[in-house]
Amino acid sequence: MGMTPNEAAAALSDIERTTERGHVLRGYRAGGPILMLWGLIWAAGYVAMGFLPQDRWGLMWLVLDLVGIAGTLLLSRGSRAEKQPMNWRMIVAFVALLLFFFATFSLFRASAVEPYLAFPGLVTGLVYIGMGLWKMPRYLWIGAILMIATMVGFFFFQPWLTFWMAGFGGGGLFLAGLWLRKL
Amino acid sequence: MAAQLDDLIHQPLRLKIMAALYADREAGPVEFSRLKAVTQATDGNLGSHLATLEKAGYVEILKDHVGKKPRTRAALTPTGRKAFRAHVDYLREVVEEVGDAP
Repeated sequence: MGMTPNEAAAALSDIERTTERGHVLRGYRAGGPILMLWGLIWAAGYVAMGFLPQDRWGLMWLVLDLVGIAGTLLLSRGSRAEKQPMNWRMIVAFVALLLFFFATFSLFRASAVEPYLAFPGLVTGLVYIGMGLWKMPRYLWIGAILMIATMVGFFFFQPWLTFWMAGFGGGGLFLAGLWLRKL
Repeated sequence: MAAQLDDLIHQPLRLKIMAALYADREAGPVEFSRLKAVTQATDGNLGSHLATLEKAGYVEILKDHVGKKPRTRAALTPTGRKAFRAHVDYLREVVEEVGDAP
């Protein structure tokens, strides 16, 4: 006996949903190690900010960011699930994010250093929330926690903000990467 | 293979298993735990339907060890790929026939 059009349509939707779920899980698995890498870079950068004079911060972040980009490219190349177009998209997104930071800092010049320390946490959190809303719900949680932790650090732990951002930002991203990698 | 209804694939969980394995056909065999997450099935259910698909020659089950940990993976056989494509073609034809009806 054949199928009714409704049954056939339902089966096709099932196939589509399963395929989509597979893509999302594959995305999590590919993104996990990258998030862990950036968690380490983030932690190293903020710890270094706690010890280095301010005039060294720019160069230090430039080196760390280049290491991060190179590592991201290597990790995404190693993941067979992610095809090449992701690489240039990631680079463009990263450069756009950096330009956004510089542009915002030029427009809204903060009188103290703390807003500069906290702002990347907020923007990164916002980016992850966007990714979560778009396709991968787990990033929504990661982004929200990062933003909340950043604000808590800014208002309640300001004297230790660099170390707070290293621990809760960097450590949080690393743990989030582990969480995604398990899938 | 022409479009045709495949009763074996038609079962809802087996359809999901075939869809998940077909989507990952280029990436190689899929681990049992991942297949479980994608199909949202229980261990027992997934194992039993995989065994049915294996018996039909649609799926190949690979068992090995990573270190000391046992690992079970599954992949579509060429016959399984053809059967899945034919089943999907059949589904599309049934849906399109309604659209074409006067």
